[in-house]
Amino acid sequence: MYRRAKKKVPIIILFLLPAAIFYSGLFLLPAVQAFWYSLFSWRGFSDTKVFVGLGNFVELITRDENFWFSLRMNLVVLTVGGVLTFAFAFLMTALLSSGIKGKRFYRAMVFLPNTIAAVAVATIWGYIYNPRFGLLHGFFQVLGMEKLSKTTWMAPDKAMWSVLVAMVWVWIGFYTVLLLAGTEKIPKSLYEAGRIEGANRFQLFTRITIPLIWDVIAVAIVLWTIGALKVFEFPYAISGINPPREIWTVGIYLFIMGFGKRNPVYRLGYATAIGVLMLIIVIILAAVAQRLLRRETIEY
Amino acid sequence: MERAIRTTRRGPLRWIRRIPTYVFLSLWAAFAIFCVLWIIFTSFKTNRELFANVWALPTRFVFENYVKAWQVVRMGDYFINSIIVVFASVALILAISTPASYVLSRFTFVGRKLVTNIFIAGMGVPTPLLFIPLFAIMSFLHLINTLPGLIVIYTSLSIPFTVYLLTGFFVTLPSELEESAVIDGASEFTIFSRVMMPLATPGIITAAIFNFITLWKEYMLALVYISEPDRRPLSLGLYSLSNSMQYTGDWVGLYAGAVIVIVPTIILYIVLSERMIEGITMGATKG
Repeated sequence: MYRRAKKKVPIIILFLLPAAIFYSGLFLLPAVQAFWYSLFSWRGFSDTKVFVGLGNFVELITRDENFWFSLRMNLVVLTVGGVLTFAFAFLMTALLSSGIKGKRFYRAMVFLPNTIAAVAVATIWGYIYNPRFGLLHGFFQVLGMEKLSKTTWMAPDKAMWSVLVAMVWVWIGFYTVLLLAGTEKIPKSLYEAGRIEGANRFQLFTRITIPLIWDVIAVAIVLWTIGALKVFEFPYAISGINPPREIWTVGIYLFIMGFGKRNPVYRLGYATAIGVLMLIIVIILAAVAQRLLRRETIEY
Repeated sequence: MERAIRTTRRGPLRWIRRIPTYVFLSLWAAFAIFCVLWIIFTSFKTNRELFANVWALPTRFVFENYVKAWQVVRMGDYFINSIIVVFASVALILAISTPASYVLSRFTFVGRKLVTNIFIAGMGVPTPLLFIPLFAIMSFLHLINTLPGLIVIYTSLSIPFTVYLLTGFFVTLPSELEESAVIDGASEFTIFSRVMMPLATPGIITAAIFNFITLWKEYMLALVYISEPDRRPLSLGLYSLSNSMQYTGDWVGLYAGAVIVIVPTIILYIVLSERMIEGITMGATKG
């Protein structure tokens, strides 16, 4: 399949060069620079940088309550959001692959929220949660539950969960489609054999489907881990110009420290140190996930 | 006997047992459809009508919301910005990622695996890490607050996933045509452009659609690198519209703005949903 590269070196370089220039100049270089900048106190792009060593990291880890507060949101997304998303995605996968009519239509509808811009999804959920005329307001009013219908879903004590539900709704679609694609590659004969042995639908799913799509599940969980640490667009969009601390994620906190909300903050070195911590957390979690999920691939 | 049991299981009984499945999936689908349709219908109402009865259909279709959103709130200008930025970015991403992916998946050379991994490793990097260093680079290049600046940022940040997707695709292509072209003495450029590109077209189209949707939806990077209102792409325009909503209270105007953002990707999705879903899953399920 691969061709030998004798005398092909110029071609290889020529074909790789454009992508390499963009990628190294505008991705790898800033990523490496981030580690350097994180060691400085730097209060504005035209300002001089003052070397503070690991000072930013010490402050972040030992004294910065906001950092831990926003990290908590990411960890809630990772764990609670992860359990919810994968539970529903597995349920959807089981239902959609059970031989129903209209599978493509239902799959398309489950995935639909993923094709809508996060800002627009935030507009939609802003309506759903609106305490004056929102969907939930109307729903509880019809049921005669006046008190519930007046709930301010985006109030600080509920905002985190309200935001989580909306994001999980979107993610379920993505992970369903991913898992479902895995199941489509399993030969039907295996299920036939299982049925003849007397397995019920639940057993077929746990004994055949899950082991055979294990590599897809592993990819999905690693993607999930990276995604949970990256969360930014939806919570930032739904809360307006001054997002309450309850729905800050580490990414949002980084943005606020770097560029500010209403007024600029410009703690550039400090913000970059947050980014470095984000990367370190992603690497650790992804490595742990990969180790836990490692398993012999089953050939079929 | 065996046969008799099987037929009852496939008969009406089985259909009845599936009713809960259909009910659940239909409710889920109905909710998604409702969300989109409600926002479209409401965008044709007046604010007074919205508050009188949120459930009622508009009594007459008010296009003023759209006229206002398009001209006064300047969603029309932002729409054009988005078209320019997204099309140019997708073209650039494919122009540089396709040859790179081709070489990485069809040739063998020292460091091939390493280079591939370095490209793909970018998928794991949380984008906010790059906010500030990239800001410094972009202002050095005088590209802050410009559409070309946003285009090159979108391009470089889309390389990891695109290379991941395309190398996965190139590997699966048969090598017979390539080999016979080599024997016929075709040049490397001919092999690439006349033999491999046509074979890879489905993968390239999938990558194009995926990047188009992703970049059309994107507003985080635009928020960081575009502060000049004239240069906003559409989704950033909607973000600032929803912020100013806090003062204007013009809900139907906001919904009209949201519909302008939603409609292009929804239409693309209706036409190409199979292709898009394939794009999501192609990398993860390896082929």
